[in-house]
Amino acid sequence: MITNNNDQCALALSALEHVYDPEIGLNVVDLGLIYQVDFDEVNGKIFCAMTLTTQFCPMGESIRDNVIRSLEGSFPGFGVEVDLVFDPPWSYERISERGKQFLGH
Amino acid sequence: MFAPNTNNAAVKTTSYKVVLPFYMYAALSFVVATIMLFFSSGTLLHHYFQPRVLATTHTMALGWGTMIILGASHQLVPVIIEGRLYSERLAYASFILAAIGIPLLVYAFFFFNMGAPAIVGGSLIVLSVLSFLINIALSISESHNENVHAIFVLTATGWLLFTVTLGFILLLNFIHILLPEDSIRYLPLHAHLGIIGWFFLLITGVGSRLIPMFMISKYTNTRLLWWIYGLINGALLCYTILFLLQAKEVLIIVPAVLFLSAVTGFIYYCYKSAKQRIRKQIDNQVKVSLLSVLMMLLPVLLLLLIIILSGLTKKQSTIITTYGFTIFFGWITAIILGMTFKTLPFIVWNKVYHQRSVSGKTPSPKDIFNHKNFRIMSVAYLLGFAVFSIGILTSTVLLLQSGAVLLIITSVMYAVNVLSIMQHKAENGNDN
Repeated sequence: MITNNNDQCALALSALEHVYDPEIGLNVVDLGLIYQVDFDEVNGKIFCAMTLTTQFCPMGESIRDNVIRSLEGSFPGFGVEVDLVFDPPWSYERISERGKQFLGH
Repeated sequence: MFAPNTNNAAVKTTSYKVVLPFYMYAALSFVVATIMLFFSSGTLLHHYFQPRVLATTHTMALGWGTMIILGASHQLVPVIIEGRLYSERLAYASFILAAIGIPLLVYAFFFFNMGAPAIVGGSLIVLSVLSFLINIALSISESHNENVHAIFVLTATGWLLFTVTLGFILLLNFIHILLPEDSIRYLPLHAHLGIIGWFFLLITGVGSRLIPMFMISKYTNTRLLWWIYGLINGALLCYTILFLLQAKEVLIIVPAVLFLSAVTGFIYYCYKSAKQRIRKQIDNQVKVSLLSVLMMLLPVLLLLLIIILSGLTKKQSTIITTYGFTIFFGWITAIILGMTFKTLPFIVWNKVYHQRSVSGKTPSPKDIFNHKNFRIMSVAYLLGFAVFSIGILTSTVLLLQSGAVLLIITSVMYAVNVLSIMQHKAENGNDN
């Protein structure tokens, strides 16, 4: 049962702003890797749909594991499930304005 | 909103244990090749068919260029085909077979002993390439993602198998008469199949995926890439037919122009990728790789000069040597120098840090190699390349030896940096 509220989603996203793509140096939220975060408070679960800049990215496992660790650390008592989604695929259009500024665009 | 078929398996990449031995082997081969270059400086002023020149060329082509490309391919092919590598065991087999075969072959050339070392070395290299080809073909087949980059890689590996098989037949032809003519006569065919069919096709296919990816470029042009693919393979087929028909040398201008068009197309592709990039700051490793793309023009222009000067035997021989040097010590070496420090730190970073939280305190992949060493190495390389090239063209032994010393410095600095990356430990020593 998904019982999202905006405050929790905002907290989750701000926690994920501390997870970086090690090569680009930009956080996964501004890079546009996070597609959706859902909370199931009844069962104590967080579901995160995210992508990678490319499938089989050598950094993929590290980024995914850090997303899990970051959410588990910010929401003690919640289990985290991450689904890697490649449809739609990531494209540069998903980078936030702040992210583009960071990259010098 | 999202397709339900999620894919958590898409984060499993090739183990670092498969890839790192190739990098280590290539670094050592580069040091050996530059030392051999120093000691064969004098012989370079004569005809290129000399035992020491053949030994140096094969150390560069197989030990350095091919080994590092095979290693990097095992890591990068999954990114390109968006699928897993079919077998890590086959990857180990490729490494072991080549690692034993290459020194045997180089020894055979150096002492011009075409007996057992040449035959055993040559056959091990053919088996190594065959293992790699099977691995790549099955990886692509299982991924069901036959994109243009994957086709470049597969075709390039096919040309490599053709090249090493022909090379092996040429070795046998020294002892038993298998071919209508002397092995020396087939050397240009063997060399161009390897240079264009393997190195150029593969570097173009992988580079056209990685260069835009590293710069986060908006530019994509699959149609242009298919044109480049057609031009390269057309040039190779045309050259092979003309060669086997023993056509007039001037007709080589046809495949040369096709190849020049392919090089120009790839330079245009890289230029557009750089122009439309989101990431404005280009790091030094990508800069060196982009420089190597421009360096491709040098051998092509020399090739055209060789064709124009055909008949002026002495001058032509010098230009042919410069042509070979600008290929192996020019663009192939430049792209490897750049891309090593883009790919190897990733592999080692994953090994050391992948189970750690990435916070502001965790070094990024670019922090685990020595940038000062890289800059000095790049300067030594460019100077060494320029001095040695001028040395060949002016037939000056002192310039050849000075250039070779600078290239030895380059290779030693490269090997030191590669070794230090491989030995990188997490700061508190709690690495994985």
